[in-house]
Amino acid sequence: MTTQETTVSTHRSEYQPIDGRLLDVQDLYVEFHTRDGVARAINGVSFTLNQGESLAIIGESGSGKSVTAQAIMGILDMPPAKIPGGHIYYCGQDLLSMPEDKRRKTRGPEVSMIFQDALSSLNPVFPVGWQIAEMFRKHRDMNKSDALAQAIRLMERVQIPAARERVKAYPHQFSGGMRQRIMIAMAISLDPAVLIADEPTTALDVTVQAQIMSLLQELQQERQMGLILITHDLGVVADVADRIAVMYAGRLVETADVFDAYAAPAHPYTKGLIDSLPRLDQKGQTLRTISGLPPNLMHIPPGCAFNPRCYRAAEVCRRDVPQLREVGIGRHAACHFAEEVLHG
Amino acid sequence: MAEPILTAENLVKYYPIRKGVLRTVQGQVKAVDGVSFDLLRGETLGIVGESGCGKSTLGRLLMRLEKPTSGRVLFEGEDMSNSSARALRRLRRDIQIVFQDPYTSLNPRMTVGDIVGEPFEIHPDAVPRGGRRKRVQELLDLVGLNPEHINRFPHQFSGGQRQRIGIARGIALNPKVLICDEPVSALDVSVQAQVVNLMEKLQDELGLSYVFIAHDLSVVRHISDRVGVMYLGKLAEIGTEDEVYEHSTHPYTQALLSAVPVPDPTVRGKRDQIVLVGDVPSPANPPTGCRFHTRCWKVQEKCSVEEPQLLVRPDGLGGHESACHFAEPRNVLAFGAGDEPLQPTV
Repeated sequence: MTTQETTVSTHRSEYQPIDGRLLDVQDLYVEFHTRDGVARAINGVSFTLNQGESLAIIGESGSGKSVTAQAIMGILDMPPAKIPGGHIYYCGQDLLSMPEDKRRKTRGPEVSMIFQDALSSLNPVFPVGWQIAEMFRKHRDMNKSDALAQAIRLMERVQIPAARERVKAYPHQFSGGMRQRIMIAMAISLDPAVLIADEPTTALDVTVQAQIMSLLQELQQERQMGLILITHDLGVVADVADRIAVMYAGRLVETADVFDAYAAPAHPYTKGLIDSLPRLDQKGQTLRTISGLPPNLMHIPPGCAFNPRCYRAAEVCRRDVPQLREVGIGRHAACHFAEEVLHG
Repeated sequence: MAEPILTAENLVKYYPIRKGVLRTVQGQVKAVDGVSFDLLRGETLGIVGESGCGKSTLGRLLMRLEKPTSGRVLFEGEDMSNSSARALRRLRRDIQIVFQDPYTSLNPRMTVGDIVGEPFEIHPDAVPRGGRRKRVQELLDLVGLNPEHINRFPHQFSGGQRQRIGIARGIALNPKVLICDEPVSALDVSVQAQVVNLMEKLQDELGLSYVFIAHDLSVVRHISDRVGVMYLGKLAEIGTEDEVYEHSTHPYTQALLSAVPVPDPTVRGKRDQIVLVGDVPSPANPPTGCRFHTRCWKVQEKCSVEEPQLLVRPDGLGGHESACHFAEPRNVLAFGAGDEPLQPTV
């Protein structure tokens, strides 16, 4: 890997983290224009990601967590998607105002992504080794045989047995877990500073999930990547994240250190999510639930989007949108009654 | 102890693999390969396992949606395998199923009323013709849906609501046994809890017995009285919820339990980790001897030769059934209290 590391360090001179900060998302909005109306998928999301940090973005389907990832990666289909406001600073440069050819060069070497469904994300008609090698050929101008040699090294790094023989195999010849390893190999091939993993283990069995998560953690520590882990699985988050960001109806409702958030959530939604989980290590009574359903993004309720489902909802919640504000050291919540939720 | 309501006796289901122009049989996928258990009246039996272990096929065999290759299913002592179509139809009134995917298991062109009321078309004597609509509305109310939505179509409901429709259809004929095949896996966490609570409520009110098939070990523990762990078409271990989770003796169960993430960051690094290498082998060509021996961390020579039987083996309490030559209790859920991280077992 030594040759690769030298290329990386010269290459990275253009983008240097500012005070260890890799990503700074500010007041991001994303909407989808459809025949039925405008779906407001993201409504003013701000967060940061530091070098070597694991940030978990959690939320239920439709909360906007995957759209956030796609906006950072710049792979939203526009139209129907539109970004009416906000900034995504990567090492101080706004990705959203960057010319496309410059931005394209960031995908892979700077910011990279792993998708949930490896089978549909890999190209079925090309061998996996070819697909990994393509990264080196396109971004590093490597010749075919050097690129393939790099691909084999990466496949070995992500613990694919008999990598040299399997480099010519096609995606369908691998199991789900092995395909996810191939995707990880592709994503880390150019040594990105930021790795976004969108539900990387949702389609996998638990024993395989454990293997993949420990591989991801190992790679992150080895390369000091900033990791954004997008998931709905609060168990996985508890195992790997440093910080969590909880999304609901396109807004961040809580950000906190992972230990603080699980010990004492500051937003009723976070509390509801944690309380509604059955526990492996306990035989519980009736599960506590969050009543109702997540809102339709075309008709987000006025005030706090969570108010129709909230046990604490009062008049002010139906009127004013709560802003994400500091409610403790290093923790923020968007609830009019955050202090009471936190301490009571 | 309550008497068994449903008994599986050495159930086997092989699917032929046909290849070539002549579609000759080239092999067998051994989806279920000798599974026996009793479901007791009023209890919930959880069946867990990874994808491809045969748990869904088992569910379909139990209600005779699939004809077993061999073995039989007894319902209240009556053998279902030789029943005539007429007798089977009668039996199916007592055994119903709820499917995993609430998006594909409901006909998009039928109204909710037609879907939930369809069992009454097949069993006209269940409810008199004039009372059906009222009965459907009662059922909708029972599962927490608005009875006025009887004329709506499935696409007008969310995933959780659709699963309630599936449950309403499942209980329409007042069955005694409900087979639930991954009923909550497609649902979001907050909705999943609502459906699990509903199922527990219905069990209490209607005296149902459940076979609850799922891959989520936390949900299964929550809802089950007894739990069976499947691996490649066979039961690796079966016992009460406490026996299987706190006193498991099979290395596969222990590895599975240790791999489930627990939503509590304070136990990070303090858990007993058993890391399995590799993937589940193909059920078309399962390993010889113990099927788990290719991935087992306790494997010895005997394991690849001699198949372990599902027998009561000591677990530190009394004993429960486990299919391992070297069965030994290990509580992987007793999280270490010390600051030293535990070394993973590979």
